[in-house]
Amino acid sequence: MYRWKKKIAPYLFVLPNLIIFGIFIVFPALFGFYVSFTEWDVLTSPEFIGLGNFIKLFQSAEFWTILSRTLIYVFSVVPITFGLSMVLAIILDRNIKAKGFFRAIFYLPTMLSFIVIGVSWRWILGNNFGILNYLLDLAGMAPVNWLTNATTATIMVIFATVWARVGYFMVMFIAGLQGIPGVYYEAAKIDGASKWQQFRHITFPLLKPTSLVVVVLSTIQAFKMFGLIKVMTTGGPGDSTTYLVQEIYQQAFQVGDMGYASAMSVMLFLILGLLTIVQFKVSNRGGNAYE
Amino acid sequence: MRKNLFITITALLLVGLMAVPAFAQETVLDFVWFSDGVEGEVLKDIIDDYQEENPDVEFNIIEVPYNELNTKIKTMVAGGNPPDLARVSNPGELSSALLNLNDSIGQDYLDNFVESTHPYVMVDGEMLAVPIDVTANGIIYNKDYFEAAGIDVPDTEEELDDLWTWEEWANALEKVVEESNARYGLAYDYSPHRWSTLLYQAGGSFFSKDWSEVTINSPEGERAVEFFVELHDRNIIPESIWLGGENPNTLFRSGLTAMHFAGNWMLTNYRDNIENFDWGVAYMPKGKIRSSVVGGKFVAGFKDSDNKEAAVDFLKYFSSQKVNAKFCEESLFLSARTDNSKLNYSFGSDMFEIFSNELAVSPPEAGSDWAYNEAMSRIYDDIRQNVVKSIQKEITPKEAVENIEELAESEIEDMEN
Amino acid sequence: MNNKVKNILWYVILLSFSLIFVLPIIWIFISSLKTSNEIFSWPPTILPNEVTFSNYITAFSKGNFVTYFKNSIFVAVTATALTLLINSMAGYALAKFDFKGNKVIFFLFIATLMIPLQVIMVPIFIVLRNLGLYNSLWGIIIPPAATPTGVFLVRQYMTTIPDEVLESARIDGASEWRIFSMIILPLSKPVLTALTIFSFMWRWNDFLWPFVVLSTESKYTIQVAIANFVGQFSVDWNSLLAMNIVAMIPVLLVFLFFQRYFVKGIAMSGMKM
Repeated sequence: MYRWKKKIAPYLFVLPNLIIFGIFIVFPALFGFYVSFTEWDVLTSPEFIGLGNFIKLFQSAEFWTILSRTLIYVFSVVPITFGLSMVLAIILDRNIKAKGFFRAIFYLPTMLSFIVIGVSWRWILGNNFGILNYLLDLAGMAPVNWLTNATTATIMVIFATVWARVGYFMVMFIAGLQGIPGVYYEAAKIDGASKWQQFRHITFPLLKPTSLVVVVLSTIQAFKMFGLIKVMTTGGPGDSTTYLVQEIYQQAFQVGDMGYASAMSVMLFLILGLLTIVQFKVSNRGGNAYE
Repeated sequence: MRKNLFITITALLLVGLMAVPAFAQETVLDFVWFSDGVEGEVLKDIIDDYQEENPDVEFNIIEVPYNELNTKIKTMVAGGNPPDLARVSNPGELSSALLNLNDSIGQDYLDNFVESTHPYVMVDGEMLAVPIDVTANGIIYNKDYFEAAGIDVPDTEEELDDLWTWEEWANALEKVVEESNARYGLAYDYSPHRWSTLLYQAGGSFFSKDWSEVTINSPEGERAVEFFVELHDRNIIPESIWLGGENPNTLFRSGLTAMHFAGNWMLTNYRDNIENFDWGVAYMPKGKIRSSVVGGKFVAGFKDSDNKEAAVDFLKYFSSQKVNAKFCEESLFLSARTDNSKLNYSFGSDMFEIFSNELAVSPPEAGSDWAYNEAMSRIYDDIRQNVVKSIQKEITPKEAVENIEELAESEIEDMEN
Repeated sequence: MNNKVKNILWYVILLSFSLIFVLPIIWIFISSLKTSNEIFSWPPTILPNEVTFSNYITAFSKGNFVTYFKNSIFVAVTATALTLLINSMAGYALAKFDFKGNKVIFFLFIATLMIPLQVIMVPIFIVLRNLGLYNSLWGIIIPPAATPTGVFLVRQYMTTIPDEVLESARIDGASEWRIFSMIILPLSKPVLTALTIFSFMWRWNDFLWPFVVLSTESKYTIQVAIANFVGQFSVDWNSLLAMNIVAMIPVLLVFLFFQRYFVKGIAMSGMKM
């Protein structure tokens, strides 16, 4: 009796989520996949053109420039966000005073909409009107061209992204830390293990499932970061902070070439899929602590 | 406990699914609208007046931010649920979804509207919208700064005979920075549309008037890029706007720049927000010729709407002389109607006159280029990129116009396939 | 003694680091208390010359913010309840049952995260409309409720719950639903807390989706209303700032209220493995 129930139970548990998913995400996604083989201006019916969009994509120098720029951005944002959110979570999981207060502070930027974050940073970093350059001036230092130089603008966009996302992943790590049994640390203390050894041999390995979530999600989020950059730099100076999703959105709704936008999305999907598989493989290497 | 929660939620979901909106007896017109200032409020007044005569017509105004206007309309249309009316800045973008007004209103009706609006409205021989108001690019200046520098700014028709040239204008802006508290001469909107004003003043254009040729790669086009780069090199325009996205309105409002290159839409904003100094509108300098750039707002119906007749009726009402005058006067807009060219504005009549005069001397390309939306939307960003790259000295002005030409030609070829 | 100095040093480091996170937000808040002219004056003032609430008053008088707030609360609360329920069920199945299709379903969930909403918005819209959910608050509650992030998070956490706990319950004859609701859920309090905080924030801050689905002002959520402060040529910064400060408050309250549930479950801390 219970064997039969155990067999059918997982399907029932997963069903509600799966139904909503199938109707609202999977079906539209398949449609989007089809659109990548068509020419579609959204207003009239899609027209099948085979691999035309993909050929255009592979021949476009602009696409590859944007892609490599996106990769630089993503691979800067992800490690910094990961490291910082983990360190903050570990510090704020300890028995320190006012930890609720500190958690809230680091989570604050997460609560703001991306539009406000983008506007605020542009406002703070403005060459002439920005409060930061004004303060530098008061302190007798030369103003910095924060957003008008391609390199500093890229760095500031990365900084703003990390600033906006660290609190979010910190909360995930804090939740994950609660799952590590306290007895391990007590045993380690008796054995005279240092703080670093405790982290190296208990916290880090046992946090692996959460770490995987954070790496995978922060990678996906960075690839899809849209509103913040659109408002903060409008992709500039020039196009030096224009990334893949900006280009997808531009093509889809400004230019009205949904087919090409979908083809780029398919590429984005493949890249992210590949990265995610790699991340899972790396995480499983040396055996998962729990499986 | 958990089970109860589950049942409650399921029940709620079912109720939600079944709550299909009931069909009302009256006609309800879905009207997609966006606002910069008070025009949304004025529209509501006008609708109230309209409803007194047409009590069976209801309006559902869907206000959206301008940036997302296309997203909203396109999803509604693609989802088989088009609005009945929409305020748009370029009917060509939505041409395949809009209602052809040739029979219901008739092309003759367009004779009532300034000619520069016609290419926006007529797409492939079909009249797709009704013009409501027009916009003109122009310059707004800080009177205090120019007075301090002892520079006379042309703002009367008498001064038009001896209008400043590009060079004199640039020198004046440099002098203002020296002689007043202004830190920079000019705040110039980060927009290819605003940049193109210089292109037309230089005597150039993006396309020929009939859209058959790409004309940007010309000595005039090159000169327009070159002069714009020069304005940056001489630090007259702070590079933080075109390279860093700093807000030009803010720079002008805070008194950091002596002049703002924008358009008539800034008047209400500055009226409400500037207290610390006197400001006014000046005539733009002339290059080879004088020119502004025309833009406009239109209202269109939709071909798959369920209430086409009611929509057309309101279009006629809204664009009629009296109603249009009320709308433009109260919103402080330039009317698109020729018979409303002189309106009684409660504020800044002299400034509006400057803008209308600028429009009157603009060449036809300054309108037809921007009405050629299908091509323009594809190269818009590239224009911006190439101008920026010229400012950064990565390419020469010559290369910039060559790049834009090449892109425009390949996009047009792409469109035709 | 040495320890005390070290402790103080830690606090100082933590405090100065947190300044980077909080100062920009304080700056927004202070600016929202300035008159529009002072916000745009040069040189800038750090503290307002005169504190004014006019930005808040103007923002609130434009449209019906009580209604928008009510709609947002309804959406965020209902969607969060739904998300918690279906995500934890799915996460549990994927973490603790070895069934056919487990891996496929799991990767399907994650894979959908990789699609930009912008390109599938139109087909989702068509589906919604055919289900009669267009211009209905349920249309913005149900589709996003099956969050892949939530499933992923819950699944990863639940893999750390030892199988022995479940097996002993099964031998005692507990039903699968009972095991889930009476054993698994209490043990997963920390991750469900995180999901509650996230889900509330996601739905509260959603813009694009509600914007596309809703077409009647009386159904607008707060973010849809805020976005309308942005015009073609001008942006009403003062109202935008003020409304965003107000809109943050519920999310902050939810965080402060729930973060205290980040505690080690009794069963976990005392467990012998």
